[in-house]
Amino acid sequence: MSKQYKVVHCTINGKEIEQVVDVRSSLADMLRNDLRLTSVKKGCEVGECGACTVIINGEGFNSCIYLAVWAEGKEIWTLEGLTGPGGELSDIQQAFIDEGAIQCGFCSPGFILTSWEIVNAGVEYTDDQLRKLLSGHLCRCTGYENIFRAVKKTMLRHLGKFEEAELVDSQGITEYPEPMPFK
Amino acid sequence: MARELIIAKTVAEAVAAKTGSATFVAGGTEVNRLGSPNDADVLISLKRCSGLSDISTDSGYVTIGSMCTFQQLVESAETPEYLREAALFMASRTKRNMATIGGNIASLRSDSYLIPTLMAVGAVLEMAGKDGSSNRIGIAEYVDGNEVGSLIVSVTIPSEAKVVSKRYANTAQSHAVLTMSASLSEEGIWLDGAVKNVGLLHFCDLEKAFRDDPDISEEKIIEMVRSCTGLHTADDMFGSDEYKRYLIAVTAYDLHKRLTGKEA
Repeated sequence: MSKQYKVVHCTINGKEIEQVVDVRSSLADMLRNDLRLTSVKKGCEVGECGACTVIINGEGFNSCIYLAVWAEGKEIWTLEGLTGPGGELSDIQQAFIDEGAIQCGFCSPGFILTSWEIVNAGVEYTDDQLRKLLSGHLCRCTGYENIFRAVKKTMLRHLGKFEEAELVDSQGITEYPEPMPFK
Repeated sequence: MARELIIAKTVAEAVAAKTGSATFVAGGTEVNRLGSPNDADVLISLKRCSGLSDISTDSGYVTIGSMCTFQQLVESAETPEYLREAALFMASRTKRNMATIGGNIASLRSDSYLIPTLMAVGAVLEMAGKDGSSNRIGIAEYVDGNEVGSLIVSVTIPSEAKVVSKRYANTAQSHAVLTMSASLSEEGIWLDGAVKNVGLLHFCDLEKAFRDDPDISEEKIIEMVRSCTGLHTADDMFGSDEYKRYLIAVTAYDLHKRLTGKEA
């Protein structure tokens, strides 16, 4: 095989794959062009918009600037891997729909994957921390508030705080019906 | 455009593969991006190079492997607070998972996230020589063009230092027009910065002004930078020449005040 090509073995959405790639290819190119996983979007191609985000070994990466050959031995998840066997949406995907956190949809796969990592961390992040965790993504349509609300509600539900999740108001801030305990 | 990728497993392998038309690729955020100035025929990937991702502390100094990512710097308890602050200038966590300290230094970008801070504390770089040797140089020497293209193995910085930094950009994701860091040592203040499209600068005249007169007025500093002939700022999409000079002056003044505890 020419030095320009290499064979990559990795697990994508739970399935083991073997793929011949051009050493210059980005992981985003391999996922989109070779494996037809088109939820992976190429936006800026400089690693700033977050549309190409995939989860590699449990952490979010910009696949547009990640060489495909670096995927050797890695476990990768794209948005396609979040849906159930019958195409059922995951809770974070459903939350994006319920909260109107999608308009053109181009940034959504990246946002959802980062959100998936956040809600599965088992940590109750503060509003400020959540905003910082989402700051690697750019959205030109929604104004971010609906996205923030979808993530916060799902995070709270994952932590078993269902009532608190329902109290997250339109600004993403939890509204307490009773005075705060310390008052 | 690269035609070959060599995946080095050791520093020696990486250095041996470095020929005229080859370049190292660390996290990939600079070399792999669209519009990258990199035109090497051969890429030498350092991702699987052993021993380059450790952070260790010894006798008041922290040694950071060149392949440590920004996110590692943010998360490690051994990272000095001033460097953690600089690493957090890179707002995107997905990008922080990739970008490395060595890569950020080697890129020598005029909007570098880390170099102003590393220069302000006098960081020392361990470089790997082709013959298996290693030598240590100051980061200022590296920025001046010495050893550019050689492999950075590690970066050593003081565990504790009085450092303050400031970064100006339109958005968290934008290129910064100015990143400036100031540190305080026994000799006085040290001021270093990255000015977009100008370069990585050591502001000796400003340092001298602050050392000679710690109570120098902001107006004098603004006038000094405005009339400085050695500063080659120009009008561009990041701002006018006048704006950049003003920003450098007020930031230097502000950082000096913060360091000396004289802020209003």
